[in-house]
Amino acid sequence: MLQWVSGIAATIPLAGLLFITVILVVWAIPAIVYSGFTVLTNDRFFIGNFYSTNFSSVNGVIAPFHASYGALTFIIGTLSSSLIALVLAVPISVGGVLMLSEWIPRQLEGPLSTFLELLAGIPSVVFGFWGLTVFGPFLGVHVFPALSHLGVVLPFFKGSWAYNGQGLLTASLVLTLMIIPIIASTTRQLVKRVPVLASEGALALGMTKYEVVRVVTIPYVRTGIIASALLGWGRALGETIAVLLIIGMANNPPANIYGTTSTLASTIAADLDSALSDGTGMALRAMAMLGLLLLIMSLITNLTGRLVVRRISSDALPVGRGV
Amino acid sequence: MESRAPRLRHVRGIVFWILCGIALLLIITPALAIVISVLVKAAPALKWSLLTNTTQNVQAPGLQNAILGTLVLSLGVVVVAGPIGILGGIYLAEFAPKRLGGTLRFFSEVLAGVPSIVIGLVAYTALVVALHWGFSVLSAIIALSLLTLPYIVKTTEVSFAQVPRSLREAAIALGLSRITTIRKVLLPPALPGIISGMVIALAISTGETAPLLYTASFSNTNPTAGLFHNPIGYLTYVTYYYVQLPGAQNQALASAAAGVTILLVLLLIFGGRAITARQRKMVARLDV
Amino acid sequence: MNVRRHASIGFAVVTGALLASACGSTSTVTAPPTSAAASASSTPTAAAVQTGNPAAAQTLSEAGSSLLYPYLQKLAPGVNAAFPNITLTPAAGGSGTGQSEALSGTIDLGGSDAYLSAAQVTANPGALNIPIAVSAQAINYNLTGITNLKLSGSVIAQIYEGSITTWNNSAIVALNPGVTLPSTPIIPIRRSDSSGDTFIFTSFLSATNPTWSSGPSFGTTVSWPTVTSELTASGNPAMVDTLHSTPGGIAYVGVSVEGAALVDGLGEVDLENASGSYVQPDTTTITAAVTAGATNVPASLAAPLIYETGAQAYPIVNFEYLIINPSKITSSDTALAVRTFIEWAISSTGGATTDNLNAVGFVPLPTTVIPLVNTAVAQIAG
Repeated sequence: MLQWVSGIAATIPLAGLLFITVILVVWAIPAIVYSGFTVLTNDRFFIGNFYSTNFSSVNGVIAPFHASYGALTFIIGTLSSSLIALVLAVPISVGGVLMLSEWIPRQLEGPLSTFLELLAGIPSVVFGFWGLTVFGPFLGVHVFPALSHLGVVLPFFKGSWAYNGQGLLTASLVLTLMIIPIIASTTRQLVKRVPVLASEGALALGMTKYEVVRVVTIPYVRTGIIASALLGWGRALGETIAVLLIIGMANNPPANIYGTTSTLASTIAADLDSALSDGTGMALRAMAMLGLLLLIMSLITNLTGRLVVRRISSDALPVGRGV
Repeated sequence: MESRAPRLRHVRGIVFWILCGIALLLIITPALAIVISVLVKAAPALKWSLLTNTTQNVQAPGLQNAILGTLVLSLGVVVVAGPIGILGGIYLAEFAPKRLGGTLRFFSEVLAGVPSIVIGLVAYTALVVALHWGFSVLSAIIALSLLTLPYIVKTTEVSFAQVPRSLREAAIALGLSRITTIRKVLLPPALPGIISGMVIALAISTGETAPLLYTASFSNTNPTAGLFHNPIGYLTYVTYYYVQLPGAQNQALASAAAGVTILLVLLLIFGGRAITARQRKMVARLDV
Repeated sequence: MNVRRHASIGFAVVTGALLASACGSTSTVTAPPTSAAASASSTPTAAAVQTGNPAAAQTLSEAGSSLLYPYLQKLAPGVNAAFPNITLTPAAGGSGTGQSEALSGTIDLGGSDAYLSAAQVTANPGALNIPIAVSAQAINYNLTGITNLKLSGSVIAQIYEGSITTWNNSAIVALNPGVTLPSTPIIPIRRSDSSGDTFIFTSFLSATNPTWSSGPSFGTTVSWPTVTSELTASGNPAMVDTLHSTPGGIAYVGVSVEGAALVDGLGEVDLENASGSYVQPDTTTITAAVTAGATNVPASLAAPLIYETGAQAYPIVNFEYLIINPSKITSSDTALAVRTFIEWAISSTGGATTDNLNAVGFVPLPTTVIPLVNTAVAQIAG
């Protein structure tokens, strides 16, 4: 009896996953039919003018006048913010963990690693709150002016920024902080498992601590780092509220690295209630289409990450959400 | 190992470890900065009226409705996701044949990777709109449960797997049935782990905003009974909404909500980890 | 249906009588209709609309227009004092949200500066636009030392199109002889949410600039021309806030929120109206506009009051609507509460007092519109 009941319970996650996928696909189909490949190539996303007496009809689907459901802006925003975050988070996480394990005395290690858990526990909206009220203005006043000198070499660093720091770079930096715990916690567990024989043997052979890390530790933990980096990337792709508050929510790709733009997740959250005003119902379908794109992107990164993690098999789920 | 000038090797080492030290600082400083700045901003707004007034109060808005709403939603997650997750974890740990178990486990982990806004969007289109539930407590609880279910399943499964072999063998030796074994022999030592899994689920659902935006919507009054057509307030929305409004009073309310949220989440997380630590000690003692 | 009507009428009479005797407050009590089948549309007076304090406590949920929101905040305590069983819980969120949530029944009343679109009316037959007040929109700017800047709708449209980029552009200079304008870039600020303020602003731009009319046109969401320096804000208060932090900025702000902007030292534009005079929004100019437009209000109450003729008329004036979908109101108590609230709100002894209106810069509904409102309200039945 228990077997049956618990068996049914065990299939609920799978059922939930199927439910999510089916609902998204079914709702998104009209928007996909309407837009075709322009979903991926057009950077103009406009739910249409509801007050016009004309309608726009493409491939048999009727949408409000001038409606265009190109998601390129959001795809660019999602990928660029998450990739910048990833590129920054991996070295910081790995470097910090190595420092913690190699140089910090045992007694301090516990309390210091609490900071990792602290970072992991901060809810997304609090990151957004801090980014909007403290970090963004700080960057806008003290850091961006210095960075803009790089604009001589890298044109993307030239230009102006919003007075409160809202934009791609600030959002990417906050995303970095959010995914550091994911990569750092996995790296830490793996570093602890490096065979003592190998690392101390290398020391005995006269290698410096740095060389031990380079030759013994990194190769051992490399696969785990890659796996957790993929999981962290998945988290960054789906991050909604913090990005919404910080990235400036503009409907176009950023003019420079400080520029405002939007991501898939933040657009869905911000525009879902406007979408409901659409008498044709197409705006809601467009939102489902954005959700489907986001789902596909995060599933790919997540699946790849977890398949790699299985080979290493740690017994705790890598921190994946606002925890 | 190529022979290099010892000096160069030494220098390389120093440079590397300085960079690592900077990296560690880059982890510690923001963590501290965020918690401290949020609490500092929240401090002036932390008055008694926060607990007695609702957000509707124009002169002295408080968080009563938001706190109560978060508690109600958390209770809902415990009631809905708890039993399903625990039973699911027991199945995977005790009953599942290898391949089926592997598949179910895999899809559960895939569910954990679905962005929370996508879950919220689906709950909105399917429950709020298509089933005509309107913004409702039940649709919010279902969204949060989908979100947290994989964690409860996983921690339950792991807790059962960590029960020492000797206990299982003793149960078999005594001729106990499967169900009795699970109930009387395996569950007690696994319980702390299961509870810490539930606590993590609660921490996640307390800190989430995106899936609740379009399922719970928001209510400026205290929660009322009713699963359908019943918007409910929650703490994270207060921060999200009021931080975007100009004016000192609005910013103060946003800070206060952020402070309370952070305190709640951290309390839950560290409480959960304390329980896990206790469990490890208990289990170690049981292992004969 | 007749029996129910008689029952609820009788009930309202009793309750109303009790109420009137208890606290002497303004409660519109219905006199029983003289003919049993009095249909509301043939006798458009307040007496035909059944109102009164509901039997059980009713909470009327409202959300939407951030321009209407301050006014509803003022009305909420008043209606609760007059009808203790009616509690109004207003919220902001933008007119688009107000419309969609009211149409879907998620909330009882949707606040919107824009009437429903034709597509929305087709999709939701029976949905009502019910105006409760008349408001206006100001154009504010952030330029130190410059007061009384004159602009026309056509020039503003060109600013938001990106063809006029600096304050000392010849078109602006021509409108303001004798004023030294700086060469600072103009930073247009617009709403990012689905907004009734955007609707009336773009209606004004469409009425004054043919390129805008054939291009973005008007709506709660429009395809804004790309202007690289343009900033967005969500909600009226955020428009003020963003403008405050943006020297050289220009923004469209509802009058109910504008007070904060003016106190802060931001400027208010003298806008050119259809008769060629330059006016700012105040009781006189807004009333002049709505009086001119009141003759053209259809039964659906979907009437723009943009760019009305008249030497004194302010060009950006609008009705403040409550969007209601009667088919989603399932309880007769809720319907009663809705009708009561609206009739109370538009009555000069109820909600539309000079104090309440002046506090937010609104003016009352013209008397010729009231019968149309009563007709619409009478269609709200549980």
